[in-house]
Amino acid sequence: MGKTMIMKIMERAAHKEVHVGERVWCDIDWSTARDFGGANCTLQFDEITEKQGRVWDSDKIAFTFDLQAPSHSEKVSNNQKIIREFAKRQGIKHVFDINHGIGQHVLLENGLVKPGDVILGTDSHMNLLGGVAAFATGVGNTDIAASWLSGTNWFRVPETMKIEATGEFQCGVSMRDFLTRLVGDLGAGGLDFLAVEFAGDAIERSTLAERITLCSMVTEMSGKIGLILPNGPVLEWLAGRAGPEVRSRVASIAPDADAPYIETRKYDVSKLEPLASCPDAPDNVKTVREIAGTPVDQVHIGSCSNGRFEDIAAAFAVLEKSGFKVSPSVRTIITPATNEVMRRCASEGLIEKFLDAGIVFTNPTCALCTAEHYGALPGGDVGCSTTNRNFIGKVGKGSHTYLLSPMTAMATAVKGVITDPRDIIC
Amino acid sequence: MSEILRGRAWVFSDDVDTDLIYHNKYLAETDPKKMPQYSFEYYPGKENFAKEVKPGDFVVAGKNFGCGSSREHAVYCLKEAGVPVILAETCSRIYYRNAINNGYPVLFVKGLSEAIKAGKIKDGDELEVELGTGTIKDSTSGSAFHGDAVSDLERDIMSAGGLIPYLKSKKK
Amino acid sequence: MGYTFAEKALARAVGHPVSANEVVTVEPDFCMSHDNTGPISRTFKKIGVKKVWKPERLVVILDHGVPAPSSDHAVNHKEAREFMKEQGAPHFYDVSSSGGVCHQKFPEEGFALPGQIVIGSDSHTCTYGAFGTFATGIGRSEMAAAWATGNIWFKVPESMKITATGRLKQGVSAKDFILKVMGDVKSDGADYMSVEFHGDGIEGMSISERMTLCNLGIEMGAKNAVCRPDQKVLDYIKGREKSADWEALWADPDAAYAKELKYDLGDIAPGVAKPHTVDNYAPIGEVAGTAINQAFIGTCTNGRIEDLHAAAEVLKGKRVAVRTIVIPASWNIYREAMRDGTLDALLDAGCIVCNSGCGPCLGAHMGTLAPGEACISTANRNFKGRMGDKDSFIYLASPRTVAMSALAGKITDPREAF
Repeated sequence: MGKTMIMKIMERAAHKEVHVGERVWCDIDWSTARDFGGANCTLQFDEITEKQGRVWDSDKIAFTFDLQAPSHSEKVSNNQKIIREFAKRQGIKHVFDINHGIGQHVLLENGLVKPGDVILGTDSHMNLLGGVAAFATGVGNTDIAASWLSGTNWFRVPETMKIEATGEFQCGVSMRDFLTRLVGDLGAGGLDFLAVEFAGDAIERSTLAERITLCSMVTEMSGKIGLILPNGPVLEWLAGRAGPEVRSRVASIAPDADAPYIETRKYDVSKLEPLASCPDAPDNVKTVREIAGTPVDQVHIGSCSNGRFEDIAAAFAVLEKSGFKVSPSVRTIITPATNEVMRRCASEGLIEKFLDAGIVFTNPTCALCTAEHYGALPGGDVGCSTTNRNFIGKVGKGSHTYLLSPMTAMATAVKGVITDPRDIIC
Repeated sequence: MSEILRGRAWVFSDDVDTDLIYHNKYLAETDPKKMPQYSFEYYPGKENFAKEVKPGDFVVAGKNFGCGSSREHAVYCLKEAGVPVILAETCSRIYYRNAINNGYPVLFVKGLSEAIKAGKIKDGDELEVELGTGTIKDSTSGSAFHGDAVSDLERDIMSAGGLIPYLKSKKK
Repeated sequence: MGYTFAEKALARAVGHPVSANEVVTVEPDFCMSHDNTGPISRTFKKIGVKKVWKPERLVVILDHGVPAPSSDHAVNHKEAREFMKEQGAPHFYDVSSSGGVCHQKFPEEGFALPGQIVIGSDSHTCTYGAFGTFATGIGRSEMAAAWATGNIWFKVPESMKITATGRLKQGVSAKDFILKVMGDVKSDGADYMSVEFHGDGIEGMSISERMTLCNLGIEMGAKNAVCRPDQKVLDYIKGREKSADWEALWADPDAAYAKELKYDLGDIAPGVAKPHTVDNYAPIGEVAGTAINQAFIGTCTNGRIEDLHAAAEVLKGKRVAVRTIVIPASWNIYREAMRDGTLDALLDAGCIVCNSGCGPCLGAHMGTLAPGEACISTANRNFKGRMGDKDSFIYLASPRTVAMSALAGKITDPREAF
């Protein structure tokens, strides 16, 4: 019997053969923390080692600041300070302070992530790094502190589901819509404890941004990791950033032809239309046509799911077709995922046009993923967002959020009511 | 022989996300002892949980409890409130890890989601839970349930009191 | 005996001559408020009046927490939004790229006009004196009352005359000058007064520099601060005036002043206001070498394009040593900085350039300080805990000094660059 990608990744990290269902101890390539949960990790580490402990490998730890960058509360500022001081004390050089952007994206852009890496982070969307076939997972502070002690952690070797996507997206439809379809089909618990391999020509052709979008939302189905084997331009980009070892890693973790999958699902993405996750759960999926006309108060484009240049450019295309004007009744906010994304938006002239249209363009940060940053909603407001969660009151008590693709979000900003982007660009 | 725990049930639906258990508004908190005051503040109808929960009360939920964020706050806020065990049909994986890593028991109880929907287990019911055997009795409704045992590794981590003490004991 | 600026402006408003210490009641030309509009509207409703006396005289510019950093802020914004709508008040600047810091947007949008009376529910409303406006900050209750009645009473203030001659030396800015003045006058030295800036030194300054001067009027306790509305001002307001009813007024040469101060700008050197008061002046040499954790360039005091240029000139081609937050005072300034390459230079240097607004100036947005941290800032207040934790420290300085200090990670004399 062959092996799936996650089995091969775990075998490399556990230095032994692994079997589905068993618990294995894996060496950790990166153990990271953010200003979200990061101080909890460092305080816990200091407590259990009575401030005497050294981390197992200061070159394998990274800190990123994105929850509140810059911070707007004394508590978060203090947490950031605690992290900076811990990093200094422990000789941890990889500190990506408030001027960088969303953690996983920053790690990726800085060439720190290779296919097959085992990566921990205090972010449930760490697994978007599965977009380059790294096994990255969100964990709590105890898991992080434990890995800093020992350099390892335990995992159950998961069963794998294979999802094959073929065909080409129609005009106005994007990877985000495919993902929303999946969340709707599988439900919030549909991938609990499972790994997923995404394959098929639609995946093979997809950009890095699209792969990130797809893998980021595996969390919303409670999956462990979604994996896509780097190929084509994505592989070239990654090798350019993280070095030539990327190629041999890809070869070593490619799934076997007879790998065991508990289920294979097939989708033809050319049959999809724009979709939305309606309030108040990601798996409450409807077509945009069904909810078109719903008035909204705010539109937010960004986050680790859809904050890359390609996402912002897709929104830009919709705005361009609309004469660069958003509805005055809607507050529209765009947050790039990283500084690199922001710079590209500036140099390619996107920011200027967004500003002409009345849009607020912020510095790179997680922004509207919590009620404690840019664009928090008052009770009674309806928001549209390209983020990944719309749980009850997530970004403000008594508010409700629709999760949409960047194209649908911008079409909605233009019209002031939920709008199918095909009505504008197709 | 294992101890029988007795307490009241607080009953929750399927897919209770981490924002409902412990809202992102309070993420900057680093002291676990201060976390219980925010428990379930955003859960419709359970806003008073933090005030009214008594040590020994049980959290009873359907499928996929704790989905969403990796915040360990969502475990601490219940553990520190004195909830001795979480009874759920299933638990989201990160939440489950966070619980085990703190030596905090979660029992996976088949049929719990349907039982909750059918009203066979309700808020305020008196429960008897035997952790060793996984036996759960609702003495108010008369229903009985069975919780699954965990794997050897999880049991070892649990009985060591959590991941950190477990690793420390292995080092010796 | 001639009249001071304040006497003339208030006389114009009441329609007959007035003198210092008289009490007058006037109709404000514009009423400015920001994120506090929601609470003001609640007080307004308690008065029992349904309609604002003249809704077109309300100017509401959201800036303190934009976009809303918390649901509490969001609720306040919503209240302001709904109130403006229900009043049919047209001048509302919501969370959008037409916004910015209220004291920057207000003049940009042509509301700051010579000889007019402006009240604002923000202490730095005195900034509009740079346009020859009689502008003063008031509290929320008084603003609610003004909305209801269309009236506000003032004691005609006595005036202080500050005369500046000559030119600032290289590396020295209007901020250094006003910090020095603060150190001399002290925080209560101009209590209740109208502060007039005179002299060829002021005439030689840009509008932006004059705004920096007037902005700090309140820090001396002044009711308002003002510069002569010269040709620069007339050129600036041309085409943007939101009212035709204005008049370029200025003090008579023989007006009576309660205090007079004279400075030669050539004597001014870089300086800072040390924690925790704005009048705690120190020449840069005294604090040079003090370690800092954060640098902040922005606000209604020093967030304009000239300020960003000064910072970029220092930072270009180099890397900051501490986290450096840059917040253009308005989106127009942001765009200008983007077009002329300033934004790139700042980002290349490692600065974080945020969206326009008040930012961390008042400790509730984009760059709050942790305990024990020190920040060097171009803002106007360094009160204990103003930017965050009560055990943090704020040094106020010019954009150039802040940028130089950001490079070194410690307070640094900007003249070292030359």
